[in-house]
Amino acid sequence: MNDIITTACKFVTSSIGRKILVALTGACLLLFLVGHLAGNMTIYGTTAEGSWIDVYATGLHSMPAWLLWAIRLGLLAVFAVHVLLALVLKYENYNARTHYQKEGTLKATLSSRTMVITGVMILCFLLLHLWQLTLNGDPANCYEHVVRGFQNPVSSVAYIVAICCLFMHVRHGVQSVMQTLGLGTRKVRPLYNIVAVLFALVVCAGFISIPLAVLTGILH
Amino acid sequence: MKDIKFPESDYMPDSCIPDGPIEQKWTKYKREAKLINPNNRRKYTVLIVGSGLAGGSAAATLAELGYNVKCFCYQDSPRRAHSIAAQGGINAAHNYQNDGDSVYRLFYDTVKGGDFRAREANVYRLAEVSCDIINQCVAQGVPFGREYGGLLDNRSFGGAQLKRTFYSRGQTGQQLLLGCYQAMEKEIGKGHIEMHPRTEMMDLVVVDGHAKGIVVRDLVTGEIKSYAGDTVLLATGGYGRVFFLSTNAMGCNVGAACACWKKGAYFANPCFTQIHPTCIPVKGDYQSKLTLMSESLRNDGRIWVPKSRETAEKIRKGEMKASDVPESERDYYLERKYPSFGNLAPRDISSRAAKEACDDGRGVATTGRGVFLDFKDSIARMGKEWIDGQYGNLFEMYEEITDVDPHKEPMMIYPASHYTMGGLWVDYNLMSSIPGLHVLGEANFSDHGANRLGASALMQGLSDGYFVISSTLPTYLTTQKPGSVTTAAPEFKEAEEAVKARIRKMMDVKGTRTPDEIHRELGKLIWEDVGMGRTKESLMDAIEKLPAIRDEFWNNVKIVGSTEGINMELEKAWRVAAFLDFAPLLCYDALAREESCGAHFRLEHQLADGEAKRDDEHFAYVACWEYKGTDQLPVLHKEPLTFDNVHLAIRSYK
Amino acid sequence: MATLNLTLKVWRQENAQAQGRIETYQAKNIPDEASFLEMLDIVNEELVHEGKEPIHFDHDCREGICGMCSLTINGVPHGGKKVTTCQLHMRQFKDGDTIWIEPFRAKAFPLLRDLIVDRSALDKIIAAGGFVDIRTGSAPNANNMPVRKKTADAAFDAAACIGCGACVASCKNSSAMLFTSAKAAHLNLLPQGYPEKNKRVLAMVRQMDALGFGNCTNQYECEAACPKGVSVDNIAKLNRDYMIACASEAIGVFS
Repeated sequence: MNDIITTACKFVTSSIGRKILVALTGACLLLFLVGHLAGNMTIYGTTAEGSWIDVYATGLHSMPAWLLWAIRLGLLAVFAVHVLLALVLKYENYNARTHYQKEGTLKATLSSRTMVITGVMILCFLLLHLWQLTLNGDPANCYEHVVRGFQNPVSSVAYIVAICCLFMHVRHGVQSVMQTLGLGTRKVRPLYNIVAVLFALVVCAGFISIPLAVLTGILH
Repeated sequence: MKDIKFPESDYMPDSCIPDGPIEQKWTKYKREAKLINPNNRRKYTVLIVGSGLAGGSAAATLAELGYNVKCFCYQDSPRRAHSIAAQGGINAAHNYQNDGDSVYRLFYDTVKGGDFRAREANVYRLAEVSCDIINQCVAQGVPFGREYGGLLDNRSFGGAQLKRTFYSRGQTGQQLLLGCYQAMEKEIGKGHIEMHPRTEMMDLVVVDGHAKGIVVRDLVTGEIKSYAGDTVLLATGGYGRVFFLSTNAMGCNVGAACACWKKGAYFANPCFTQIHPTCIPVKGDYQSKLTLMSESLRNDGRIWVPKSRETAEKIRKGEMKASDVPESERDYYLERKYPSFGNLAPRDISSRAAKEACDDGRGVATTGRGVFLDFKDSIARMGKEWIDGQYGNLFEMYEEITDVDPHKEPMMIYPASHYTMGGLWVDYNLMSSIPGLHVLGEANFSDHGANRLGASALMQGLSDGYFVISSTLPTYLTTQKPGSVTTAAPEFKEAEEAVKARIRKMMDVKGTRTPDEIHRELGKLIWEDVGMGRTKESLMDAIEKLPAIRDEFWNNVKIVGSTEGINMELEKAWRVAAFLDFAPLLCYDALAREESCGAHFRLEHQLADGEAKRDDEHFAYVACWEYKGTDQLPVLHKEPLTFDNVHLAIRSYK
Repeated sequence: MATLNLTLKVWRQENAQAQGRIETYQAKNIPDEASFLEMLDIVNEELVHEGKEPIHFDHDCREGICGMCSLTINGVPHGGKKVTTCQLHMRQFKDGDTIWIEPFRAKAFPLLRDLIVDRSALDKIIAAGGFVDIRTGSAPNANNMPVRKKTADAAFDAAACIGCGACVASCKNSSAMLFTSAKAAHLNLLPQGYPEKNKRVLAMVRQMDALGFGNCTNQYECEAACPKGVSVDNIAKLNRDYMIACASEAIGVFS
């Protein structure tokens, strides 16, 4: 037992161990994004009683409370681990470095260099998002709530900017997860890159389509 | 021209070669050698200077055995020693290729390659342990080239008629050194080796006639410090940079060996310096070093110069391209002179032939010191792809350095100083004439005679370090009470003061010329006069001019900065001063050896066809030089060489 | 032969404690055939003649194998041409160029003087586990253990690392993952190094962490700057091997 605890402690304090945790939690969050996007896409469907999204939102809320809270707390934990470890690693990385008077970059992508910035932007947006839609929303009138919210151009633009940050974050994140989990090789790395870009594009395009649809009047 | 009569002495220390047939000498030695109890080994401190293949392997092995090892190198890490730059490979008599190799054959080839100027017993031992070296390195994880069946591959190399060379692409030296370095780091991690990087040995401390310590300069702080030990192992490499331009690293120097020579160690056969035929020619005065192109290129490249001086002149001026010279205007001089070996003639022969062509005014390159190595025919015969498969990385390296694509225009090459067979004299125990001072690897003289065969240097360094010294060191150590000398002995203080005084003296000159400028002047003179073809006149010329360069240094050198902290000008100056002390010895030895053998070619002594004319009757000895003072001629001691197991023959590569 | 006139912006710092600064030098009439370090030799020769202290830099073999040279050129270690600084030639530059020359920077590489840094942290990682723990003289016959050619080649590719530290200096996080992973991969791949694989991985990673290097964020700047083309595949492998080694240490699987 002692061995397990000792190794576990060493693992979560080691560079690779923490990276692996960030990658695993990141992978969970990527899955969450897929689920969330699928849910959001119901906004484009209508039935006689109104938008599918209202049915979907009501359905979510009618889950047993313990299950709903278990999912929420689980997500929160994953998110907290991802954010906290990423920030700690970043802090260490900053301290490990001595800066050049003239900086040069050969290969590191802009998205990889701005992970913390985009990450923090996403965090801020998320708080706002939760406040606006989860805390102050009414599941039965979800469609109306969303459309009304996005009719405010400021909200829409903020949302689009946030999703662009998400794009950047995910674009590096996807292939980074594969590398950190030890699945990167010279042969598949270009493929991961393409998958990462495609994944980020599809997810973010999906999310952005909603405010755009509202602003252009497709959803009203 | 007056003759120099070198003082000679009949005294010669015992070379300690065991009796018996040559096949049994080493076995017998090991059977009878003294041993030290494992618990007592840690009481002995071994100081090792240099961390290349010889020093590094010795440090690792002795530390594993339990000795208290302290190792010193001038680089920032033991992994950077210049052994790392060896490209080709390492020989061993494993006979994995089933092509008739054996310990005897490797021994014979090495003695013959050395033109019968090496000590038989040492060379036989080298051949004997060669297989152990490969086994050892493979077990360390050295990634040698392999065949598809998973077993080790071999190539043929440098005049050998069989495949016995193990290799790791073109980086064999690097991989062997890393194996050695990793073994050292293992022992450093366990606390068995105290490593002192960025530390240069300045002097040897001799107490009661025994080498018991060294004085070093910490190259970071500038501090002069002493270390005491029970024995000193010198593995500081060769003196090739006496020519200034060489394939050696910038820091390679003769300082430590020269200091030992001055303290009484005999310097043996300094005139045996190897010139490598395939280096990239000199570009200009600012040039700092020469880059070796692997000798393997000669397998498929044809060496030529224009037949006429006019054509050569046009090429030098850039008015004509080499590829435009018609076949009828080309002189493939190696193929012409040595029809059977052709472009694969041994290093010394092809180097000298290149020099002759250039002396004749038919050299190419802007300086006129270059010949062509042409792949046109090979590309036409085998195709560009095949050539790239064989030499791709070398072609890229050449293009990177010269901006010329060797697929289109022939390469230009010229010989350059590469390896020095001469070194401090050692007996069969690898101990010099100073008791307690052992010398390993290129720094000693023992195994290569007058010329080293390709892929033998790595073998010798590792043999000395891994397998020889561990068995021979107790022979000396058992005669010594461990820890009997400490740095409190007055000899240490004295040596430190002498080093400090010498540094102060050179710093105080405050002249106008940089150490590099003086080094360059020295190198030019030595290269011209004591390079590939030596004559009595050229040697006398060098001997007459050397004191002036030495005086120039001591009266006009300019060393900026202080003695504290990192000062690379001071480091250079210190090394140049040692080269200046050593250079006359090189000339004396070349002058005294009135014969041609191996890499030592005296133009007066050649056969009618231009081959080296060896004089076994008068010169089958090791010339050991004892220092007698800066302005005194050194005393010559002779160790006679006897050949009971190989037949003395004229080397023929025709 | 063309010559170049260049402006050099060079980091100067007397010693570890001193305050460093960028100084500007004019490099005049530099032959374009010269190597980068020969260009600095020429500048230094002039500085010395003017009685000034030359620019101190590390260098030794000058043929791209010892790993001693360590300049960051225009923000990129070794200049980013897939060769070491000593193999970089001036024809890569244009007349009138301004070249920034700085040391290899990282907290784990303390600066000693001007462009010279202390990279002994890399040696310490090797000392922790970058070896095969065998004694001299105890090795079996070299051909007793066949190694697949592909494996031997992969091990060689990893072993080609020259330990220059460009990976650390180029990394935006000063991580030593490429160096550590290359050495670990070299030995872990070979059957000779396999018995100590888990022990080696844990020891090397823990030592690397303890030395104050940063953490890898998979930007692959190291691979791009590496003069020997060491692949970041090794990093993925080290991540994998580390998980396995931890599992082995904690619960005894994979051991």
